[in-house]
Amino acid sequence: MSDISAYVPRKEDFRLKNETEELGLDSNFASQNFWKEVVIRFFNKRSAVIGLVLILLIILFAAIGPGMNDYTYEGMIQEEKNLAPRVSWLEKFGIFDGSETMTTSVGDMEVNKYEDAGLTDTYYWFGSDIYGRDLWTRCWSGTRVSLIIAIAAAFIDMLIGMSYGLISGFFGGKVDMVMQRFLEICNGIPRLVIVTLLLLILKPGMLTIIFALLLTEWVGMSRIARAEMLKLKEQEFVLASRTLGAGSFFIIFKEVLPNIVGPVITQVMFSIPTAIFTEAFLSFVGLGIPVPKCSLGSLISDGYNSFTTHPYQIIPPIIIMALLMLSFNLLGDGLREAFDPKMKEM
Amino acid sequence: MKKYVLKRVLTSIGTLLAIVLVLFILMHLMPGSPFNDEKLTDVQREVIYAKYGLDDPIVVQFGRYVVNMCKGDFGVSYKISKNTPISQLIETRLPISIGIGFYAVARGAVIGLILGLLAALKRDTIIDTVCTIVSVIGVSVPSYVFALGLSYTLGFKWKIFPMLYDSADALGSSVMPSIALSMFTMASIARFTRTEMIEVLGSEYMLLAESKGLSGTKLIFTHALRNALIPIITVLAPLVVDLMTGSLVVEKIFAIPGVGSLLVNAIQSNDYNVVIALSFIYSAMYIVIMLVVDILYGIIDPRIRLGKEGD
Amino acid sequence: MKKRIIAFVLAATMVAGMTGCGSKSSDSASQGAAGAATSTDLNVMIETGVESLDPQQATDGTSFEVIADYTDGLMQMDADGNPINAIAESYEISEDGCTYTFKLRDDANWSNGKPVTAADFVFAWQRAVDPEVASEYAYMLSDIGQIVNAEEIIAGEKDKSELGVKAVDDKTLEVQLNVPVSYFLSLMYFPTFYPVNEEFFTECGDTFATSPETTLSNGAFVLDDYEPAATAFHLTKNEDYYDASKVSLTGLDYQVIQDSQTALMSYQSNTLDITLVNGDQVEQVSADPEFNTIGAGYLWYVSPNIKDVKELQNLNIRLALTNAINRENVTSQLNDGSLPTYTAVPRDFSADFSADQDKFGAYCADDATAAAKYWEAGLKELGVDSITLEMKVDDDDAPKKVATVLKSEWEETLPGLTVDIVTEPKKQRVQDLQEGEFELGLTRWGPDYDDPMTYLGMWVTDCANNYGFWSNEEYDSIIAECTTGELCTELDARRERLYDAEQLVMEDAVIFPIYTAANATLVKANVSGIEFHPVALNRVYKNTVKE
Repeated sequence: MSDISAYVPRKEDFRLKNETEELGLDSNFASQNFWKEVVIRFFNKRSAVIGLVLILLIILFAAIGPGMNDYTYEGMIQEEKNLAPRVSWLEKFGIFDGSETMTTSVGDMEVNKYEDAGLTDTYYWFGSDIYGRDLWTRCWSGTRVSLIIAIAAAFIDMLIGMSYGLISGFFGGKVDMVMQRFLEICNGIPRLVIVTLLLLILKPGMLTIIFALLLTEWVGMSRIARAEMLKLKEQEFVLASRTLGAGSFFIIFKEVLPNIVGPVITQVMFSIPTAIFTEAFLSFVGLGIPVPKCSLGSLISDGYNSFTTHPYQIIPPIIIMALLMLSFNLLGDGLREAFDPKMKEM
Repeated sequence: MKKYVLKRVLTSIGTLLAIVLVLFILMHLMPGSPFNDEKLTDVQREVIYAKYGLDDPIVVQFGRYVVNMCKGDFGVSYKISKNTPISQLIETRLPISIGIGFYAVARGAVIGLILGLLAALKRDTIIDTVCTIVSVIGVSVPSYVFALGLSYTLGFKWKIFPMLYDSADALGSSVMPSIALSMFTMASIARFTRTEMIEVLGSEYMLLAESKGLSGTKLIFTHALRNALIPIITVLAPLVVDLMTGSLVVEKIFAIPGVGSLLVNAIQSNDYNVVIALSFIYSAMYIVIMLVVDILYGIIDPRIRLGKEGD
Repeated sequence: MKKRIIAFVLAATMVAGMTGCGSKSSDSASQGAAGAATSTDLNVMIETGVESLDPQQATDGTSFEVIADYTDGLMQMDADGNPINAIAESYEISEDGCTYTFKLRDDANWSNGKPVTAADFVFAWQRAVDPEVASEYAYMLSDIGQIVNAEEIIAGEKDKSELGVKAVDDKTLEVQLNVPVSYFLSLMYFPTFYPVNEEFFTECGDTFATSPETTLSNGAFVLDDYEPAATAFHLTKNEDYYDASKVSLTGLDYQVIQDSQTALMSYQSNTLDITLVNGDQVEQVSADPEFNTIGAGYLWYVSPNIKDVKELQNLNIRLALTNAINRENVTSQLNDGSLPTYTAVPRDFSADFSADQDKFGAYCADDATAAAKYWEAGLKELGVDSITLEMKVDDDDAPKKVATVLKSEWEETLPGLTVDIVTEPKKQRVQDLQEGEFELGLTRWGPDYDDPMTYLGMWVTDCANNYGFWSNEEYDSIIAECTTGELCTELDARRERLYDAEQLVMEDAVIFPIYTAANATLVKANVSGIEFHPVALNRVYKNTVKE
């Protein structure tokens, strides 16, 4: 006994086990990579794939759409105002031939302004607006603006909300108490009021809108992060990390964070459509993107003014917006189910 | 339980006070005053500022405002309706907005539940897809577009409902605005119900109940739906407040004398007092709803209460 | 199991459907009832609500219109906008033009039966200048009306009882002016000068003019359904009105509608007799015989900040900007009947001053080549090859349209120019302009009285509405001469001097006038005799007939 207690370990007593065979890893489950699983589950869900494809298509059009004809988003042609949609290869079928039915107070009448103005070679695929600007170009550059705003807002609010929720959840006690009260105050002010006031104080523009959206959207994100943190911080791997002497921030961002990526990405997918929608509302109350630039929201609110006169002006932006919302929601649903295998069993 | 309720009430009051402070500061950061008109001279503006105490230090103004508000006095409107007490303005308008909001929530919740339920039970079938599309249209088409569409078809073309709000026919005139407003609620509830139902249907206790041989209807309505409804209450509460946001534009389209249109006018004409008063009322309603939901939740589900006390 | 679920769902849908049906039937019943009532109430659409019914507090067009519906001043407007006797039966002007003596008619009564007396006018006018009342239109009595001591009272230097107006007896009112004012009679139909009964006012206290009970009528109609900030209110014909036999309408039914499409649809389904039409809807109604455009008097113009912005200090740059505007293009975009305007005093205003359109039109003609020449010269003087300017604009429909067109025209005609449009709520835009926090500002000015001075008075040194901070000694001296100097009474000479003043403004491109606003209006064919005016009272219904 005394021999053993007196024994001092030497360097040669230890050696690194480098060989895989020696480690005796369980080869049966070796292929169970989490991310691979997620991807497989995701692609097995048809609606999610449709959502993804739609988003990619819309992004593609937002990128190349404005360049597909010679018009620019701000170029006005006085003589070509309020023209109905006209597409060359559909024209012969009698649709999209530039004619529209105008409801006037002296009766309905069928007009074709292209013919009236002698514009035989002019084609506006989505029609032109009250200033004589091409709606196709405007729709896609508006989609571009809306997407940039929404995605930027969603990702920045993910960063802020997530850090806030993680910190609040991890430290608990007094810190959590103070942080949650602050959050409650932020949440208690109606979103519209705070956004409107902010946009009045700051100079209107893309950055301001992103900032305003950010201010209202991070609360939901932080709630999710906090809930996940409360669940995870009691688990053994956190304890293990702590016993090994890891600092709080190491645990929060290196240990817990990777484990909540799933719910967080899902939440981002859901907050993008919310951001697009809020931006649309801001445009309607006149606090949107400065003219002549446009977003989907400002296009809808412009089209709204001609709704009873030229209904075709509001339809394309609404359809694009609906498709965007639909596909982000489908994508979000798909991701949520892919990240949460529990739901897969259903 | 008592302790929990008391604690929640106290924090709510604190939150409300903080909100008033934030609103007050925000309003005063806002450039432009209610008295900016081309035709006012500097001297006159000073006189008016003095009259309403707007030239006092902001701290004094805030103190005075809080004291008055505790007496139920929100001050007078500067611009929208000069020198009229705001409480008087709100008194007649709030019930109208709440009424329309109530119809909208009721309609939206019932239809949303049905859609969500159908979608969950017929998961991944054509019914599910249709329900999803309906609910996506609901969340993606702004309520003002719905409102105008309804007004044009039901009101103008077919003349079923009045296009303008008529106080003599409050019920009839709230049909179109409440439908327009309920679209968003309906869509959100449908989506949420679907998700919750799917989760509940997949749970072990449902499997247990099913294996005990319970019949389908009973299984779904007493076990599944009831459990799914609890979290739905929580989303319903913020949706009620979101309705108010939607009501801002919808009230404008139907010429409804509600608080929404008042707030829009107030913001545009920089009528400080009205904006603060209305924002305060919105916030108060929101906080009260959240409080009620939390307490209800605490009663229904003891884990929440204990969890919160543990913090 | 499946069947039962479907049954439940069906049942639930039916319940939901039935609640819908229930409200539907109740509604159509009430609609029928409303349609059956055949009255000759005129249904009027307004865009904004009434801000105040207190004649000395009101500032906006809607409030003025409604106050004038039920209150008469000393004078009222005839169809052409000339002052004619109302409460005043006759008047005398002293030889020096500084004393006005009004004789009030004996049969003018308030709706509570009390007679309208000279004391009511004295009380009201003293209220208007009382610093405690802080009436925004107090300057109508001082700067514009030139009533003795008005200015000192507003500044708090004298007591309001010293105002140069007194009740000689119950029915005689005497007004003292500092200098002769050629348009003084036309001020008498401006609501700030309307009478208020002191006894009634004291009874009402703070609630004065906030409900039918707290308003008194002495005019063609009586307010019988109203609450503050109401979206719908009603007036009935005043049977005790001294001129009641001439009033044919049984009442006025006002409805505030902010959404232009709702308004048009309501008009087309006969809920409204008169409505405004937004430019976007004009295409639908332009062929309609009921469609009309009515001049609104507002001059819309761009004000360059001449003091602080180095590029805009350069005259050539300013001339280039104003010449590069195709004003026809702007108004065709608005499409509501607005008229292109090339002078600082708008068109169709003050009939004997309309020669200016021909005289000075050339200073800002739509001339792209001239503009480009000025532009080049300006850039050379500044030594730069590109300029970026920011333009502040109200976030309302019409100004945004105008700004969009201006930006496109400027950038197209003037190479190297970039214009950024900043939209703001109107109140903030006004403040920014007044404080010089702008480079270009799109703004408007509505006339207060029927004289070119209501416009030309703006560009004197240190005037709060001289947004560009332009200063010219010669101009200041002409304006002084024409307001308080020796030219007050010599109308022909005064007109010539005012033309000289306007020329200075145009030569220096102090403002870039753009258009004179008009309202696209629909009035039902069975309605006639609504009088429209660009000044003070926009619409008068006393002689309106609805068949």
